[in-house]
Amino acid sequence: MEIRLPPRFNLLAILSGTAALNLLPLLGLFFYCLSRPGGAFSALGREGFEQLGNTLLLLLLVAIGVGCLGTAIGWLTACCRFPARGLLTIAQLIPLAIPAYLEAAVITDLGSRHGLRLHGISWAAAVLILSTMPYVVLLSRDSFRQSGRRHLEASRSLGLAAWGSFKRVALPMALPAIASGIALAGMEVVNEFGAVELLGVPTLSTGLLQRWQGEGDPQGATSLALTSLAVVALLVAAERWQRRLSRRWDQAGPGDRFEGWQLHGPRAWLASSLCLLPPLLSGGIPLIWICSSWDQLRQENLAELIGLSGRSLALGLGAAVLALFMALILAVGSRWLKLPWLQASVFMAGLGYAVPGAVLALALLLLFAPLGVPPLLLLLWGYGNRFLAVAKGGLDASLERLPPSIEEAAASLGKNWQSVLTMVHLPVLRSPLLLAGLLVFVDTVKELPLTFALRPFNFDTLAVRVYQYASDERLGAALAPALLIVGLGLSSALMLVPQLREETTGPLPPVAN
Amino acid sequence: MVRSFVWLYLPAFFCLAAAPAGAESIGVYSGRHYNSDKQLYKLFSQRTGIEVNLLEAKDDALIQRLQAEGSGSPADVLVLVDAARLDRAADLGLFKPLKSPQLLREVPVQYRDSRGRWFGLTRRVRAVIVNPKLVSPASIRTYGDLASPQLKGKLCLRDRKSVYNQSLVADQLVSNGAVATSSWIKSMQANLAQPVFSSDTALTRAVAQGQCGAALVNTYYVARMLSGESGEADQRLAKNLKLIMPNPAHVNISGAGVTSSARNPEAAQKLIEFLASPSGGKGYAEANNEYPLKGYGDNPWLKSFGPFKTSGISAETLGANNKLAVQLMENNDWK
Repeated sequence: MEIRLPPRFNLLAILSGTAALNLLPLLGLFFYCLSRPGGAFSALGREGFEQLGNTLLLLLLVAIGVGCLGTAIGWLTACCRFPARGLLTIAQLIPLAIPAYLEAAVITDLGSRHGLRLHGISWAAAVLILSTMPYVVLLSRDSFRQSGRRHLEASRSLGLAAWGSFKRVALPMALPAIASGIALAGMEVVNEFGAVELLGVPTLSTGLLQRWQGEGDPQGATSLALTSLAVVALLVAAERWQRRLSRRWDQAGPGDRFEGWQLHGPRAWLASSLCLLPPLLSGGIPLIWICSSWDQLRQENLAELIGLSGRSLALGLGAAVLALFMALILAVGSRWLKLPWLQASVFMAGLGYAVPGAVLALALLLLFAPLGVPPLLLLLWGYGNRFLAVAKGGLDASLERLPPSIEEAAASLGKNWQSVLTMVHLPVLRSPLLLAGLLVFVDTVKELPLTFALRPFNFDTLAVRVYQYASDERLGAALAPALLIVGLGLSSALMLVPQLREETTGPLPPVAN
Repeated sequence: MVRSFVWLYLPAFFCLAAAPAGAESIGVYSGRHYNSDKQLYKLFSQRTGIEVNLLEAKDDALIQRLQAEGSGSPADVLVLVDAARLDRAADLGLFKPLKSPQLLREVPVQYRDSRGRWFGLTRRVRAVIVNPKLVSPASIRTYGDLASPQLKGKLCLRDRKSVYNQSLVADQLVSNGAVATSSWIKSMQANLAQPVFSSDTALTRAVAQGQCGAALVNTYYVARMLSGESGEADQRLAKNLKLIMPNPAHVNISGAGVTSSARNPEAAQKLIEFLASPSGGKGYAEANNEYPLKGYGDNPWLKSFGPFKTSGISAETLGANNKLAVQLMENNDWK
């Protein structure tokens, strides 16, 4: 039985309006780069193929790295019990709170002090794997956690051990979440230029920087950005299409949770060490750097630091609310309204993350600054657009596993769409929404290029201050604001603590909604 | 929960976003980001009663933003680093020509636009550093000497993206012509000990540690290390190297102009005059270990580098030759 949907016209208007808000900047960029004198496609230049090759190689390395490590850690923290699991689960957020450019700056700085030249694609891949792995860890963990106890117990009663259950039951169920995580990591790889530039890897994004800053050719830069967007769109679309052939639904509800396998002996220690590795590396290296740079720490003006943090916090919250709201509309709406053109534009709208922030800022400025739209509004719009992918990834993965029969059941009970939304979707999406909000918040707090280019007068944030010092090669002075970014990121991770406690004390009785 | 959050959060947000209300105020977009600049703006406000609203961002992003905002832009002054960018902004019509006898007096002719659209405020020199254990300081007197085969496997350079390198190449292009400059770049590339670097600090350290024998860096990076500002370890390291002022030396500038959309052009001009005045300019230059427009300033570290003779090529000419310079670098494999 079909759900009684809101009037089709309204739904269509809201959906296409939200998608348009996010597609408009991309379209603007497209037309902008066509206006390039000498043709949009000559922007690749002499070194274009090398840059394209490096970008693809980096994408491949990062996808393999985050896919394997991220899924392993996601599985371990969700479904196994080993020493310090709770703490290590929260620690997975440390790499998320440390911007990739900062990590790269710290690594190269430490290296150059000791006469080591750290550069090249393997270092760039390592830094990017470290900083994007949390997407896969958190999304896959959430998905593993929701895998029903019945599935896993059934697999167990059929003689599968932990590994067998993982490979044959849990992994296929979690594939949408893992793919979403890898897609986010891939988008971050193509939009990141601070880290790759510092580590001296010529990719499309550094080529873009060269076109724009080195040669004053923003159209050429835009054309390169759209090239990498096309690469990512193709990869993600191919993955989705491949997966469409094998859809799996999962009927586990809240409360039907699996308590996890108890690991013993060396296995338990191995699990702990594996989960410790990413936070230790990404937090530890900056810590070593801090300890060895203590003499450069400057007395910071406390009032100024509070102001910077306040603005970072406000922007992070604003962006999280906006991105979640739009992601919810798009994810649920496109489940209800299956028009091919709409599905395609919703898909494209979720790929804005693959466009470097500086280029997105350019698009918003070109389109809306002449109309006098206030910078702060443009900035929030930019965040919403950019982090829509982050918010939408988890929601899509969860909705993809929700069997249509549940909505049909609700409909057959005479529930209208509002009730289906509040009684089916929102409860099912509670945990992905929380996670998505957290990811967007942390990403916004450390976001740089959009904030840098679009903020109003006298509106510096923590990330802006860090970058101002770091780009001027004064890393020491960047210390205090950088620590505050990490602090904000980690304290927001405390939102996950109630969830964790719920898990460690065993499943709660089903929530009465 | 959501509702209470919205009520708590929205007012706070708007309080933070609200611009400070002042009687007379100007907006400054600046590509320089040194904390000390702010102190100077504060001093200006105290002296004149004109409030300064500041936005610091990347030079190129500021140019785009100003261009997109058009006549509605809240910026009155645009401060940029590097002659080529100033020239680019002027070509895009972002600056209003100024008629200021004071600026004509304070800013030497080679450091300002001939049509009065922008004025230099500080000077930076691209100098050669060597590690005396590897390269004899006496063997290098000009930029041309870096192409000498004696430096094979000893030279290190920063990448092509660096505007400091681009302006230096433009400088050589004007002095020596395209053919000679091409072969100079090619020979330097053949001398490289390591792939190009992405920062001057790493480059400076590599020379001090003996991984490279010679390199091109801006003087203020060396001064910063020598002064101990970047830590004791760097200070010790910096003592291993020797700075050579090539003769003639390549001078680049940071500078400013009044935007063509300025709402308060008189106040904006006052700020630029203040920054160009010996007292203001001194503050602007000193905090970043840069040279003032005239003379060498009081900075002890810069003084230790000794005087230099400039090539006399105007910043405007450097800007005009930037595109060709980048082309030469790309064609001759300067990565």
